[in-house]
Amino acid sequence: MKAYLQLTLAQLRLFARNRQVMFWSLLFPVFFMAMLGLFMGNGSGISLTGAILDEDNSPASRDLVKSLEMLGTVIEFKEQHDRDEAMEELKRGDRHIVVVIPKGYEDLIKGLESAAPMAGYMEFDPLPPIATVEAYYDETNMTASQLALSVLSQVVDGVSKQLAHYSPLVTVQASAVQSLHLKYIDFLVPGILAMMIMSTNLNGVAGQIASWRERGILRRMQSTTLNASTFIAAQITARLVMNGMQAFIVVLVGSLCFGTQVNGSWLLLSLFVVLGTLTFMSLGFIIASLARTPESAGPIAGFVSFPMLFLGGVFFPIKEMPVFLQHIVKLLPISHLTTAMRQVMNVGADLSTLWPEAALLGGWMIVAFAISSYTFKWE
Amino acid sequence: MIETVKAAESDSGGEEPVIRAEGLVKRYGPSTVVDNVRFEVRRGEIFGLLGPNGAGKTTTMEMIEGLRRPDAGVAIVAGYDTQKDLKKVRETIGVQLQSTSLFDLLKVKEILRMYASFYPMSVPIRPLLADMILEEKKNERVKHLSGGQRQRLAIALALVNDPQVVFLDEPTTGLDPQARRTLWDIILKLKARGKTIVLSTHYMEEAHVLCDRICLMDRGRVIALDTPDRLVRSLQSNNAVELRLPELEKLPPDDPNRRRAIETLKRVKEVKQVDVQKDVYVLYTDHLQATLTDWIATAEREGYAFSDLRTRTATLEDVFIHLTGRSLREG
Repeated sequence: MKAYLQLTLAQLRLFARNRQVMFWSLLFPVFFMAMLGLFMGNGSGISLTGAILDEDNSPASRDLVKSLEMLGTVIEFKEQHDRDEAMEELKRGDRHIVVVIPKGYEDLIKGLESAAPMAGYMEFDPLPPIATVEAYYDETNMTASQLALSVLSQVVDGVSKQLAHYSPLVTVQASAVQSLHLKYIDFLVPGILAMMIMSTNLNGVAGQIASWRERGILRRMQSTTLNASTFIAAQITARLVMNGMQAFIVVLVGSLCFGTQVNGSWLLLSLFVVLGTLTFMSLGFIIASLARTPESAGPIAGFVSFPMLFLGGVFFPIKEMPVFLQHIVKLLPISHLTTAMRQVMNVGADLSTLWPEAALLGGWMIVAFAISSYTFKWE
Repeated sequence: MIETVKAAESDSGGEEPVIRAEGLVKRYGPSTVVDNVRFEVRRGEIFGLLGPNGAGKTTTMEMIEGLRRPDAGVAIVAGYDTQKDLKKVRETIGVQLQSTSLFDLLKVKEILRMYASFYPMSVPIRPLLADMILEEKKNERVKHLSGGQRQRLAIALALVNDPQVVFLDEPTTGLDPQARRTLWDIILKLKARGKTIVLSTHYMEEAHVLCDRICLMDRGRVIALDTPDRLVRSLQSNNAVELRLPELEKLPPDDPNRRRAIETLKRVKEVKQVDVQKDVYVLYTDHLQATLTDWIATAEREGYAFSDLRTRTATLEDVFIHLTGRSLREG
């Protein structure tokens, strides 16, 4: 018991006195959150800009320009007169979309308007030419372009329906199921929590234990009456305290500075912090045992954690990935941790909905712990 | 050499030894790093393992400490078998490992307290710090300590459980002469307090100053075991005369002239034996004056041109060279 307390205390002192650990585990996540939160955290997350070229310059085209300019917050449209300059801006990425209203736009509309009452005869008559609006977009930035195009078609559709004196029979009334007004930062903070738990434990344990082994620190302890289980218990405790503090600070900064929400129970959140810590610690111990030198432990841990960082739903929802990847990703422990954290924090889910995540994470933990205790060696 | 081992064993009688190593063997792949090592350590003595790097000193110590499993043989410490009663052995011994690093970011007193907590029984920290001349450094972080201070801390850690036997593996390697002498004083004080000390070193003068008995090791084997004085006396002479014969140095190693020179040196008055180490010829004698006078006359008469002549008293180094044909430093 004495040894357990002393070892826990020693490990906490080592954390507190190691500037690198303090930076990467406390300041960096907060800094990271602040960066992403400031750039992407407000409203829809992406702000779009577009250019309009009105080549027709007729009352009808002016109407369209006006209604596009009214979009304001969704896409910021600016009227331009030089086509080449607008295209150049699009290529440079300054604009997401360029809309061109071609000459003769009004004439075509007029023609269609007069044709409209005779719609019944249309099947006999050749279809009159439809008025078109040209839209140019940059295909290298698909997300923004798609969004801009769909907004544009909505506007044009609205104009077209108005001109055709069309009144809708069916409409969609959209309402979010959760009705929680979640922002990107709400999505991000649980991801950052999961990322921290993974990196401080997986990378941290692998590096530290491999280096202690190399430097003979473990051997020296082995030559005393200290039990391996006491040593490991102290490591676990110290890292739980450390992760608990990290999680608390990140959530606190998130809610104070960015208004992130914690809708679920703190107890359940803590449970997942504990589960995640234990799972990734065990994985770290395995890597420390497999690595031949402390120099290789770091890269191996990086090789394991880096893909998880990008695939595990830390920054992007797993649903946005290709389907074949999703199957792989859903096997990773980080995915369950991020999902669970997110569900607890964003939606306030309880254990009755999260038991599969808890069970899968627990399964990872048990398997990893079994392998790590089988492979652990003092020297 | 076999005689000296037997002599040492025969007079160990009476009291039960604190350590008994019986036929210890350790193999790594095809090479045998410790080969049938046997010795006994008496209560209260400083027992030295002396040999070049790679002689098997550390492996031998670690098998006795229970850190390595011997492939054959038994080690008994204070009546406990290191393979069966490991926990008991660990309560009884204190260990300073060769080149262990400690936690750089912990303070001296914190590390001591932590190690003390590993044992069911431990000594108070304050007097221990005083004994190791570390009192002023107790609030320093380990990374700010000098080499000598770190080594003294490592020894302090080996003493926190008040052990009967203390193992010191090359405690002075890499220290400056001043720090080395401070450490010698500390080790002798430990002995005065009744600790049994097993010390490994590749410095012969250190072994001579500190050790009551020395086990000379080479290539995993015990090649001699006795008190330092008796080991030196086994050379049958107190003085060594070193010289070089530059003219012979150009000749191939198996040239008959080289052999003839050795024969000539052996015939010089009062010379008990001659060792050749690279190009240096070492003549052992009890009568320095007679040997030197006769050698100069012989050199004149037979036309040997010699250089780098010097004389000194014989040392453990000479014993090692005599037994192995190599110096301790060569390994």
